[in-house]
This record gives sequence, C-alpha cells and structure tokens, in this order.
Amino acid sequence: MASNDLMVGLEIGTSKICVVVGESRTDGTTKILGVGQAPSRGVRKGEIVDFETAMQCVAEAVADAEQKSDLMIKSVYVGVGGAHIQSFNNRGSVLLPDDRDEIDEQDVEDAKISAREVSIPAQNAFLHCIIQHYHVDGQDGVLNPLGMLGQKLEADYHIIHGVRTRIQNTIRCVKELPLEVEDVVFTALASAQVVLSQQQKNLGALVIDMGGGTTDYILYVDGAVKQSGAIGIGGDHITNDISMGLRIPMARAEKLKTDEGSVTLGNCLPGETVVLKDDSGFAGKEIERETLNTIIHLRVRETFELLKKQLDEENFINYIGEGIFITGGCSLLPGIDHLAEDIFEIPARVAHAQTMSGLTSAFQNPQFATAIGLIKYAQAVQVERPQRRGLSRLISKFLPGIR
Amino acid sequence: MTRFLSLRATGKEGNKMIQLNRNYTLPEREEDIIPIKVIGVGGAGSNVLDRVVLDGMDKSDLIAANTDVQSLASSVASAKVQLGRSITRGLGTGGDPELGFAAAEESANEVREALSDARLVFICAGLGGGTGSGAAPMVAQIAREMGALVIAFATLPFTFEGKRRSSQAQEALARLQGITDAVVCFENDRMGDLAAPKAGIHQAFALADMTVSQSVRSIVNLIQRPGIMRVGFDDLLAALRGGGGRCLFGYGESDTDNRAHEALDQALRNPLMDRGRMLEQATRVLVQVSGGPAMTLSEVEILMRELNRHISDETQLLFGTAVDGRMGNRLSVTLISSLRREDAPAATPPVRRPMETHVAPAAPQPPAEPSPQPLLAILPEQSAALEPAAQENPAVSAKTKELLPLEENSPEAAPVQQNEPEQAPAAQAAPEIEPTPAPEPVARPEPVARIIPPKKKPPLAPDYTGPKVLPHPQPEKGSREKVARQETLQFEPVTRGRFEKSEPTIVEGQDLDVPTFLRKNVRVK
Repeated sequence: MASNDLMVGLEIGTSKICVVVGESRTDGTTKILGVGQAPSRGVRKGEIVDFETAMQCVAEAVADAEQKSDLMIKSVYVGVGGAHIQSFNNRGSVLLPDDRDEIDEQDVEDAKISAREVSIPAQNAFLHCIIQHYHVDGQDGVLNPLGMLGQKLEADYHIIHGVRTRIQNTIRCVKELPLEVEDVVFTALASAQVVLSQQQKNLGALVIDMGGGTTDYILYVDGAVKQSGAIGIGGDHITNDISMGLRIPMARAEKLKTDEGSVTLGNCLPGETVVLKDDSGFAGKEIERETLNTIIHLRVRETFELLKKQLDEENFINYIGEGIFITGGCSLLPGIDHLAEDIFEIPARVAHAQTMSGLTSAFQNPQFATAIGLIKYAQAVQVERPQRRGLSRLISKFLPGIR
Repeated sequence: MTRFLSLRATGKEGNKMIQLNRNYTLPEREEDIIPIKVIGVGGAGSNVLDRVVLDGMDKSDLIAANTDVQSLASSVASAKVQLGRSITRGLGTGGDPELGFAAAEESANEVREALSDARLVFICAGLGGGTGSGAAPMVAQIAREMGALVIAFATLPFTFEGKRRSSQAQEALARLQGITDAVVCFENDRMGDLAAPKAGIHQAFALADMTVSQSVRSIVNLIQRPGIMRVGFDDLLAALRGGGGRCLFGYGESDTDNRAHEALDQALRNPLMDRGRMLEQATRVLVQVSGGPAMTLSEVEILMRELNRHISDETQLLFGTAVDGRMGNRLSVTLISSLRREDAPAATPPVRRPMETHVAPAAPQPPAEPSPQPLLAILPEQSAALEPAAQENPAVSAKTKELLPLEENSPEAAPVQQNEPEQAPAAQAAPEIEPTPAPEPVARPEPVARIIPPKKKPPLAPDYTGPKVLPHPQPEKGSREKVARQETLQFEPVTRGRFEKSEPTIVEGQDLDVPTFLRKNVRVK
C-alpha cells in the first residue's frame, strides 16, 4: 500500500508545467515532498499546440520533481484545461423492481449511467460525472441512498466534458515519457479541492482559477458542483496586451506585469512612471504606471464580465454564501480581489492551498494550487477507490455482462 | 402678497451675506447672482422642497404650491401658494390631472406673483397624481411667460402604482418637456435601488427625495458658485439638450485621502447614472468639480482621467471647476447629461431654430419669451413624444387639447410649416450623412408626426410608405459602420500578437485575443 500513498500531480499549464509530489498520511493530511517545475512551451490557452516541445518540457519538470523529492515518479494525475471544456447538470433516475425496495449499489450505479445518457457533441468525451444529490421517491437532498427504502431513485449529476482528442493529446504527451496516467482531472476541480474546505463548499463558493492561458471556474452550492467551465483568456493575454500596448517584447511585458502590474486604477499620481531596465540593467524606456494598469485592468475586467455572463445563465451565483476565491497565477495581481468584488458584487479573496504540510513555500503560492489540488483529488479518490473497486469487481464476477 | 414681498427682502439679505462670503475670491462678480426660485408642486413636490429646505439652500427662494391645504400647512417652505382655492376647496385633486390643471389655472395670478423676478425657476413635481401632473405644466407655462428659464425635476411613479398613473405621468412629462427648457426625470423604479432592501419605506422615500434635492441644490450651486472655470446656464442647457430622453445625473462628495476617486465613484453610483454605463452614449456631459481651497490640480486631473474612461471620444465635455471656502476639506463632483430616448445618432439640430417654432404656437399668448439665453432645442422630440401618446389615448388627449389652449390654439399644420424649411438646411449642414435632403419633406403625407421619423426608428415603419424616405436613415447608418470598421482595420495586421497561430477565442463576435484596450478603443499613452 505504501506506493499507493504516494501521489503525483502534473499540470501542463500555458506558462509553466508543475509537478507536485505528495504523500497521503494516515491522519488524512497530505505532505508535499517535492515540487518540480519547468517553463512551458508549445502550450497555448491550456492546450498543447506543439507536441514535441511540450513533451520535452514535461520531461524537464518531472525530472526536476524527481530530483527534489528524491523519488521515482511512475504514475501521475494530470490536470486538463482549455476553453473546450463544458459542463451541464443532468438527472438520472431508476425505478426499483416491484419485489425489492432497498436501494443497493447497483441502483446507484444505474442512476449514474442514466444521467450520462445525454447527447454531448460527437467529438466530446466525459471528463467528470460528479454527484450532486440523490432523491429517493421525491425526497430531496439525500446524500447517500444506499440501504434506504424507496421505489424511485433519482440522482443529479454535474457532468464535465471536453473535446476527446485534446484530452487525449494531453494524456499521450505524458504517456510517451513514459509515465502512467492515473486519471485526468479538470483543473478548476483540482484547484477547488485545496482552495475550499468542505464547509466552504457547503456554504457555496466560486473558485476562479485564472492561469496563464485560461480562466477556469467552478461553482459549489450546498457542497455540490453546480457549474463549471473555462474561458480561453488568461495571464498570457494580459502580457500580450501589455507587449502590444507599450510596444515592448513579450519577455519584458511579462516581467513588467509581475513586478509592477496592478488592476487598481486611479491610485497612481499623474505622470508616475516605471523605468524599464534593459538587459544590462541600465535605465531604458519609461512607462506610465497608469497606462500599464489600465491595460491590465481592462483585460481582467472584461474576463470577469464574460465570466459573470456565463454564470448568469444559471442562477446559482446568487446562492453563494462564502464568496469568490481567486487562484492561479493571475491572482497575484494586486487588487484583483477588489475588482472581482466590484463586478460580481460578492466578497472575493485571493486564495491558496490550505490544510497541507511540507514545503510551505510551495502551497502558499497560488500558482501551484492546481497541482496540489490534483494530489488532494487523488487522495480523495484513493480513499473511495479500493472499496468500490473491490465491490464492483465482485459484482462483475457475479453478474458478468452488466458492467 | 405682502408675504412674498417680505420674503424677497429676506432673499436679498441672503444675497448680501453671500457677497461677504465670496469676497475673498471674486468680489466683482456680485451682480452675477441669478434670482432663482424653486417651486414644489403637489404632494411629492412639496416633500422634495421640504428636503431642500432641511438640507439648507441659500441664494434661492423656495415656494410650495399644492391643492391640499393640510399638506401645504405642514410644509416648511417659506412661501406657500394654495392652488384652486374655489375649485378644490382646500382638498386634494383625487388623482385627477384635469382638476390639478384647472386649480393651477385658477391660481395663476398667485403663482405669477410668487415667481416674479425669477430668472431661473426650478419646478419639483411628482408626476402621476393630480396636482403634480396637472398643475406643474401650468406653472411651467406661467414661468415661461414671465421670461424665466424653467427646469423641471419630475419624479415618475413606481410601476406598481398602476398603468393609469404611469400613463398620466408620461403625458404630463411630455407636456413638461414641451414647455420647460429641460426636464430632469427621476424614475422611482430606479430610485428603489438606492435604499437597502430592508430599509423602511419611509427611509426609501426619504432617500429618493434626498436625491432629487441633492440635484436641485447641486445645479443651483453649479450656477451660482463662482468658478475658476465657470459653468453657466448655457452649459447646463447644452448638457440637457436633446431631452425627451433620459437624464443622467450624478453627484458625489468625499473628504477622504482618495477623495477625487471616491467622489467620482459616488457620482457614478447615482441611480440615474447606471454606474456610468450610460455615459458612453451621451453626446455632451457637464462636469463640475468643486472643492475647498486645498483642492489640487492633480486631484482634478485624476478625476477627469477617470471620468474619461466612462465617456466616448466624441463626447463633448463641458467642464467647470470652482473653489468654495465653505466646502472645507470636501471635494464634490456633479455630472449632468442626457440621453436621447432612442439611441438614434445625435444630430442635434441647431439651437435657435426650434425656438422660433416654439414661439410660433405660443404666439396667441402675448408675452413671448424675451429670454436672452439660448433656448432648448427639444421641440421636435417633444412633439414627437406628445403625438404617440395622443394616439394611444385619444380621450385623454382630446381633453389635453381643451386644457392646453396654448399648445393647440394654432392649427396643427402650423408648426410643421415652420419646421419643414428648417429641416432642409439642417440636413445640408451635415453633408455626408444626408445625401437626399430635398425629397424628404415632400414624402410627408400627414404633417405633425413627420417631424420625428428621421430620428426615431420604430415609428417609421407604420407611417412611412414612400420608398424615398427610407434611404434617408440608411446612408447614415452605413457611414457610421464604415467609420467603425476602419478603426479596427487599422489594427488588424498586428493585433493578435502571440496568439497568431492558435485557435482564436471568439465570444459574441469579438476576437478576445485582440487586446481589450484596442477593442474598447481606449487610448493608452
């Protein structure tokens, strides 16, 4: 079982690739043993566009993590993102046979299968099928229907799906290294695992993971995922905007963004400038601070407004009790929480991973939220899995052909 | 009568005090004080007036006018006029605008006396009821006849008050728009957002009154306050010109460290401002920044730059700033603008011409406006607003015609004959927009409604049959689109930068890979 306790999360991001090695402890906490990262190339907007280069970068990052943690990495949980990821809610239902009224494992499984019986675009594949609530004979909010008596079992599922080939690309990129892929996880779902506590999920919260290439979001109400998705805008766009607006190279723009950028407007003195140093450290171009902030502000504002529009399609945002949690690289921009508050009219804060021990520097950085979240997700899945596997194996033994 | 005389005397006393206050700045400006009177008509109007009194406003006389004696008695205004002494016998009008109108007609002389000497008259009225809807237009009429400029602050009823009330209010509003120089219109439905949902109804109404009062006071201050860069009457009227649409008004005040930012923020948060979103469509925006002697240039600069983000490049800014010792540490911003009812392209007709048309129907009443200020160019829209209303509700409008002899005395065709020759030169003034100026008036089969169509799109379809007219708005639209396209074209070759080779993110027809500031046309640097 010892190997089972070791978990590795791999996030192929647009700006960098993160590998986090963690260990699940018997007391339920997770310890981070090492973090490896490498700048990412060949990835745009969360999707691989140059396979060879991306693979090289992943190899680098994995090697880095192996070195730091002094462990061999065999299998990983991979995060997938990208604007192609979509989601919806669906309800599945099963009627129990007349001679039986106790709900068993198989009925629950059948309800899940019936919930998945919806048409998604032909090129898409299911990524996650997350249970929200069960209803037994119309009784709402049942968390675990196993062993309950009833005639009709319904299950609400949140279904996340994406374009099959793009998900496969990510998997292939890892498999060719060669590493085994334990599971693929939607990045926002992974981030939410570390950013939110169970209580916050119950109260209702929105996690916005604003990374390099995409802005992923996931919304929890009553402890269940109600809405999730991704927008193909991220920190890269901000950098690109700066680079074009101020006519400076991308690398400079990126540095300017992380060092000096802010989304807050109107708190600079008129004419306040930032001096852009050139390679040799000499003072170069002078840039007006307000201009820089304006460019950043407009982009972030637009992204949030777009997000709000998507969220407004369904009404769940009004049931958020805990607030908005912003994570991912862009959350490091000063003032982004206030801007989010301004737009969504809900309290917002920048969040990083909680309830972890080990390398503190790693999990205090919101850039690692997803990778650490992958570990947390793995931990949660592994707790469930052995039992479920055992049972379903038993079932399939006894009832061949059903599964 | 004697009461008013004594009142005017005290008013002058007040003026002297102000001279003293202003002495340190511009003593030579003393004759500039414009005699202003604020009159609250009806119950809601008196409430607003009370609020103005309580908030304290010098430099102007406050008059309450109502049919209901009880409510009049409880008003704290210094001067009071009872309307319709014999018609209503001190009771209200029971929501009947005709009665309100008749009452005002009966007491016309008293009103005239109360308003005498004023060069600027503000009318506060809640439309929808009897006195407000009926009497306010009459009061405005009287004020106009006396040569004063008239600005009305009208409150429209809540939707839940019923359709009848709101149609009465709309009708009254249209009439007010016809008579006054400008109407600042407050929609109660919007004011609902002011108060927290749990606030008591009393508080909610008080807040609404306060908003109206605040705008009255700030406009008075705007005009009266000596300015380094002064905004006057003309600017105010220019900002409100093209009325008939929504009035945008915002006022903010702050005394914190970041006061410039906060004051503007507050002004934009005014329910009439819609968070500044509407400002983008305004053609003219009046901004006045005032503060104590400690106000710095950089503060004004920060504020204006921030404001510039909310308005489009074509917007004409009427900017003014004033230093007032009594402001102390505070800094205040006043934003005034108006939107056309439809988002039609704002080809405002020249100022003076419509005034002539306005005078024409008013001719039977001898005292025509001798006012030196340019009058508002709202007539075309105003009659536009009036006409559809009349079509909807023929019974009411017939009564309106009886009651409003002034408006309808001259035959209906009269204003049109006046207008037609005007329309053509106006069109010629904007050459590329209007290629066919001549055939347009010919195509009008029926006179009155014809004034509007070029500006209003929806009513165009049912009335228009002639194919000659349709090309008129078309080229206008086309030329606008062309301009917009050209701008994006300029940037096209370089815009996507790093995302050149990736799949574009397109949402609602916009390529989001193109920098936001380019798409939003925000000038950087």
